[in-house]
Amino acid sequence: MDTSPFNIIIAVLLLPLVGSFLQVALGGPVIRSLGVVKGRKAMGWLAVLPILAAFIVGVYVTGQLAQTTSRDFSVTYFDWIKVLAIRIPFELKIDTLSMTMVLVITGVGSLIHLYATGYMAEETDYPRFFSYLNLFIACMLILVLGGNLPMTFIGWEGVGLCSYLLIGFWYKDVANSKAANKAFIVNRVGDWGLTLGMFLLAVSLAINYKSLPVKSDRFLSYDVILPNVLQLFTGPHAWMATVAAILLFVGACGKSAQFPLYLWLPDAMAGPTPVSALIHAATMVTAGVYLLNRVHILFLMSPFASGVVCVIGIFTATFAAIIAFAQTDIKKVLAYSTVSQLGYMFVGCGSGAYWTGMFHVVTHAFFKALLFLGAGAVIYAMSHEQDMRRYGNLRKYIPITFGTMFVAWLAIAGIWPLSGSFSKESIISAALGDQLAAFGGSPVSQICGYVALLVALMTAWYMTRLMAMTFWGPERWRELVPEAHGHDHARHDHDVPHSHAGHGEDIHGFFFTDEEMAVRQASEPHEEHHGLTADHQPKEVPPSMWVPLVILAILSAGAGYYLNQNGLFEHWLYPNGLEIKAAGEPAEIVPGTGLTLLTVSTVAAVLGIFFGFLVTLKGGRYASRIGWLKDLAFNQFYYDKTMMDASVKGGGEFGRALWQGFDVGVIDRIVNGVASIAGGFGSLLRKTQTGFVRGYALLMLAGGLGVLCWLGYALYQQGGGR
Amino acid sequence: MITGAPLILYLALGLFMFTTGVVGVIIRRNPIVVFMCIELMLNSVNLTFLAFARYGLWYQGTTDHGDISIMNGPMMIIFVMAVAAAEVAVGLGIIMTIFRLRQDIDVDDMNLLKG
Repeated sequence: MDTSPFNIIIAVLLLPLVGSFLQVALGGPVIRSLGVVKGRKAMGWLAVLPILAAFIVGVYVTGQLAQTTSRDFSVTYFDWIKVLAIRIPFELKIDTLSMTMVLVITGVGSLIHLYATGYMAEETDYPRFFSYLNLFIACMLILVLGGNLPMTFIGWEGVGLCSYLLIGFWYKDVANSKAANKAFIVNRVGDWGLTLGMFLLAVSLAINYKSLPVKSDRFLSYDVILPNVLQLFTGPHAWMATVAAILLFVGACGKSAQFPLYLWLPDAMAGPTPVSALIHAATMVTAGVYLLNRVHILFLMSPFASGVVCVIGIFTATFAAIIAFAQTDIKKVLAYSTVSQLGYMFVGCGSGAYWTGMFHVVTHAFFKALLFLGAGAVIYAMSHEQDMRRYGNLRKYIPITFGTMFVAWLAIAGIWPLSGSFSKESIISAALGDQLAAFGGSPVSQICGYVALLVALMTAWYMTRLMAMTFWGPERWRELVPEAHGHDHARHDHDVPHSHAGHGEDIHGFFFTDEEMAVRQASEPHEEHHGLTADHQPKEVPPSMWVPLVILAILSAGAGYYLNQNGLFEHWLYPNGLEIKAAGEPAEIVPGTGLTLLTVSTVAAVLGIFFGFLVTLKGGRYASRIGWLKDLAFNQFYYDKTMMDASVKGGGEFGRALWQGFDVGVIDRIVNGVASIAGGFGSLLRKTQTGFVRGYALLMLAGGLGVLCWLGYALYQQGGGR
Repeated sequence: MITGAPLILYLALGLFMFTTGVVGVIIRRNPIVVFMCIELMLNSVNLTFLAFARYGLWYQGTTDHGDISIMNGPMMIIFVMAVAAAEVAVGLGIIMTIFRLRQDIDVDDMNLLKG
């Protein structure tokens, strides 16, 4: 197969990587020689251009791909690992799935880079930020382009690392460093599942080598794994598909912030807002959905694993949506809405309609990036205040931001014909018509579909709450009493990125002592001293920030309609349909009533928006009655706290118990016991060392005689006893 | 034709000297005497070498590898004496040093090797 038109794909990988190194190498000298303003502008363009160039190359390659019939190519550059019988080449997979991801990553990524050049303009560590950002894009591209599981894993870990670096970008705040640590550590749990799944697949292929239908030494390449498991994991071995699928799903849960492992994503809002938009909305969190699409055969083979995906997905969607109602930090609302929307994607994937998950990935990338960037613009306009209770009536001051966020709001709420409505509807219809996901023969995805409808209503509701608190209502920051304003007011310390009070107490003494912290604060003042005051006049953002907003708004509005025409996106992703089953056909939403899904979901969205406005703007008197629920939701039903206590404190207690009980009590005793046995034996032997020279001489004599006797006996035997 | 005392007498004398030497090394505490006893043992070995050389217990004559002459035994004695002389030189040096350190050369008092 001629892959020469696709060899250029390596440029997509190399461009951001080179860009990252350029930032490191040139950042300091350029800013010194050109001055701060011009230098930062130059470095900003140097950061945007590689991503833009990668996007252009991606478009070219996608065009080439669309002209071929098989739409599935693999470009191998060299052998990366070769051990005994296993070969892992550096191969890039070029098919519709990976190219879709490439276009989303580089396209949305370049817009966010452009936005970040404006948003981060006051930041002293400008080149450091963009080198991380470019490196992140490179890692994400390796993840989606990798033609085998280890390459995907490298990207997987790479984005984890970059996410850690970027969340902790303002590392002088202990809270940010902690959030970064949390994200990194929680992600490790998911990686555990991914690696185990990877090893399981490789081993089961290797030990069944003789019966493989596709014989190759590339045990970890997708094009070898997938056809083979289709043959291997059948009949009595079908449970192996379930095990492998669930292990891989654990990995997907970690990266895509699904229920047991979602904790890190809300805390990750500590990073700069463009990072939240890029990593925690548009690209990195979609890695799990990508992985499910990539290995969807495994999930198709296992109704149980698909059921797990469905149930986890819908539970996460509901859970996060409830939490989002109670959040007051604008970025936190968006974070939980991201978690919720990711849950949607998993419902789609679990229902066997993998393309709907990817469809929602694409549309969600547009409108969620837009929402985050819009939120960033609001935060920028409001002197880095993130508490929505201080906003209000901002539509008068920042009309462009308002207009673009308006589009994104309707898109995520699912108002026809904006993009969100198509992708969400396709997921719900897939869930309703699905027969795949089942626990022991009883299908689960219909229920998930109905719950998803409810979540659609909730989504519209809490997004309306966000919009109403921000852009409508009274100008609440006017009521700020001068001395009362402060970053630590009415907030949880770890919720506040980059604030003076947000340094927080470092209870474990892990990062700095109090003295060191004081010295640091004194010697390195923050860039942003200005707080929000009552006479603040919000101002519109610069063009480098609103241009991406407008482009994303256009995409949010139109992409869904375009991609949904005649199933364009579905046939693009899965031109030959699925290997095992065809996606189910949705029936009437409520049998016998003739209500179509489109009607019902639109009604749900409109109802949500209506309630949102009603409750947010007029519903103050109900607030006290549901206060307890609000507290519960604000604190994530104490799940986060419980998990953190259980893992951090419980882990500490467990470690201490191991140390004092097992290590001191058992291990040390064994080691010391062995030592004292040797010592006792030695002190017995010591008695023979008298220091009495003549005694040694006697022993030598005895030894010599013994040797002589033995020699004589041996000679006697040799001589046949004569 | 070999005349004189028979071989067994030489060997008996060697055995007697060796035994005397061994017993002396073990029971005497004066290092000088111990040395003398060691010399006695070495000399008993020398005597045995000579006796065997004289009585030609082994093949003598010309082989493919050269002459195996009657001088093999006496040559060994030269080596033994050279080694013995070197040993005495070193040994006496050690004894002198110990004497300077401790003003005493009793073998039983030198128990630094005691564990």
